[in-house]
Amino acid sequence: MSATPHASDPAIDPALYLPRMARILEVTPLTAREKYFKVELPEPLGHRPGQFVMLSLLGVGEAPISISCGPRADNMLEMVIRDAGSLTHVLHGLKPGQQVGVRGPFGSGFNLDDFYGKQVLCVVGGLGLVPMRSLIQPILAQLDRFASLTIISGCRSPAEELYRDEVRAWERLGQETGKVRVIRLVDRTQNLPWDGQVGLVTAPLSSLPIDPAQTVVALCGPPVMYKFVLLELTARGLSHAQIFVDLERRMKCGVGKCGHCQINHVYCCQEGPVFRFDQIAHLPEALQ
Amino acid sequence: MSAFFVHKEAVTQWIRHLARSNTVYFPQRAGQSGFRFKPVKETTEIQFDRYQPTLAPPGKKLAPAEEPLFRYRKQGDAAPELVPILDQSPRILAGVRPCDLKGIHLMDRANREGHGDPHYLTRRTHTILIAHDCLQPCDDSCFCDAVGSLGWRDNADLFLTSLEDHILIEVRTGPGETLIQGMNFPVCTDVAAVKSRAEAQRAQPFGRQFHADLARIPAIIASQWQAPVWEKQVERCFSCGSCNLVCPTCYCFDVHDDFDLTDPNAGQRTRTWDGCMLPQFAEVAGGHNFRPNPAARQRHRVKRKFEYLTERFAEGSFCTGCGRCGRQCTTDIDIFNIVNDLIDHAEANS
Ligand SMILES: Cc1cc2nc3c(=O)[nH]c(=O)nc-3n(C[C@H](O)[C@H](O)[C@H](O)COP(=O)(O)OP(=O)(O)OC[C@H]3O[C@@H](n4cnc5c(N)ncnc54)[C@H](O)[C@@H]3O)c2cc1C
Ligand code: SF4
Ligand code: SF4
Ligand code: FES
Repeated sequence: MSATPHASDPAIDPALYLPRMARILEVTPLTAREKYFKVELPEPLGHRPGQFVMLSLLGVGEAPISISCGPRADNMLEMVIRDAGSLTHVLHGLKPGQQVGVRGPFGSGFNLDDFYGKQVLCVVGGLGLVPMRSLIQPILAQLDRFASLTIISGCRSPAEELYRDEVRAWERLGQETGKVRVIRLVDRTQNLPWDGQVGLVTAPLSSLPIDPAQTVVALCGPPVMYKFVLLELTARGLSHAQIFVDLERRMKCGVGKCGHCQINHVYCCQEGPVFRFDQIAHLPEALQ
Repeated sequence: MSAFFVHKEAVTQWIRHLARSNTVYFPQRAGQSGFRFKPVKETTEIQFDRYQPTLAPPGKKLAPAEEPLFRYRKQGDAAPELVPILDQSPRILAGVRPCDLKGIHLMDRANREGHGDPHYLTRRTHTILIAHDCLQPCDDSCFCDAVGSLGWRDNADLFLTSLEDHILIEVRTGPGETLIQGMNFPVCTDVAAVKSRAEAQRAQPFGRQFHADLARIPAIIASQWQAPVWEKQVERCFSCGSCNLVCPTCYCFDVHDDFDLTDPNAGQRTRTWDGCMLPQFAEVAGGHNFRPNPAARQRHRVKRKFEYLTERFAEGSFCTGCGRCGRQCTTDIDIFNIVNDLIDHAEANS
């Protein structure tokens, strides 16, 4: 006799690993290594700030990429991709009209409810500006719902600055409204023209005119940055519950299955990549 | 549900009979090295008594070393064709021991959590488990009793217990029931009596035991993040990942794409086993590695088995005590000894 199977499992999601196809509308180099991509999906992505997608090219591979635009009603998705390896290199060669695969959005993301009414402080290093833009855009779009917005954005040299024009537009908006302050820094000018400050993102923190009790911080940058920024913020009297961090880990699935993204027992792709810091501060692997 | 008390010879004939119209895997001797779960053929020796844990656990039949997730065909400017590959072929895993049965239960938990993995769960739906109890430890490496796997039977479709020249067959599910339909096996009239006779034969103590109660181990391990045990226990580790490959509850994977050599427009996305002991497992672009040394990786493996997943799923342990990782490690690193060292270290420093 042939075996009869068990009842079908309602937990089965047949499309879990299938990408939706999106069409590239725009590819613009931002620096020598990073390109901006605007793609159009079949339907709105429906994401929160700080979430990510699994971006893929059939026959090449798949990688986690941050969503760089704020929540939007249309079908657009904006990303910035650094040429860092096999997939990202091929992506850099793509042109408008070509297709990419998208799964997601995945992860926790930022919740704007945590920021309404507050003095918002965004501290970003390098590529961290890419996901942070997805939070900055909706804040700027409804600025009257926030006490203020301060953006401290650092990168290694003027040549590595991302979203140059847009960041300066934010700066001008600040001059008009008095509610936005943008501090742009580079580690070194490398003899290039530079209209901002020189130093690390930690430098402005100690004298920043903020009311610690009214402040909420969003932090995104390379692993080395977190420890020092957190020390400065703690010295200013901020508690870990007022700080949201966006962490990066290796990710192969985005859906809590492949095991790569674990931070101790926490799955960065599920519970993260954005965490309220007090919820992970005790994890020894959080800031390694 | 029903139970039968059947002569061993008749059980052998039954398994062969099942194999005529189903794919039935049964642990079979493979060379000198031990046993492997292989498809039963007419000539296959079916015996339940002389058993050593197979090289790979039977649960790996539900998550093969390499499997396609979907096939694609690009169609110019139009959307490509994407076809998920879900394996609906039926299979019977027979002769599964309690440790491996528990391993499959734990894999079910992990694969059903949150986003249900369609590939594993589809195979699982089409898999029937015929388990067999252990009355003696397999060898010196296993420690199933210490982690609560001994006697595990929850997810068996049929559960078998050998007693002298007979086998007690307990039917536990509908699909299990269909497998014995028409066999006219003699009904067991006093299951409790047969079981207690079998229980009397069970070795006491059963294999290796930890120096602390299982319920205390997650907290003990959590307290030992900085213990010198981690460094000491990996001095000889090659980071080869064999311990991950053979583990019934290791399921981490990597994903890559292949295109067809004959048609560059078609191909598939494939996942392959990966292991947290491999050096690049937690490395990200730019070269930063979140677990750069073997001690950090070993600590992660041990904590997954005895703390992280155990607590996440409220199971007694995510290690089944099968002993495979210790048996396979060319340099004799044994998770049982690591845990006992951690317990000893914690007691000595408390
Ligand atoms: C949540 C998240 C958001 C990210 N957002 C962006 C973004 O907005 N823009 C961007 O350019 N990059 C982003 N990255 C990094 C990006 O995922 C990697 O650069 C990409 O995976 C490299 O893939 P590849 O095939 O080009 O490189 P590979 O040839 O595979 O490898 C190149 C390098 O990338 C590392 N790497 C490989 N696979 C992964 C992986 N799955 N996750 C992380 N690192 C990996 C390797 O260790 C190696 O150092 C993000 C990563 C995460 C986890
Ligand atoms: S099998 Fe042994 S040597 Fe290989 S990674 Fe595991 S513990 Fe290290
Ligand atoms: S950790 Fe080792 S003993 Fe435990 S289940 Fe895995 S292979 Fe078996
Ligand atoms: S990315 Fe696979 S588990 Fe998180």
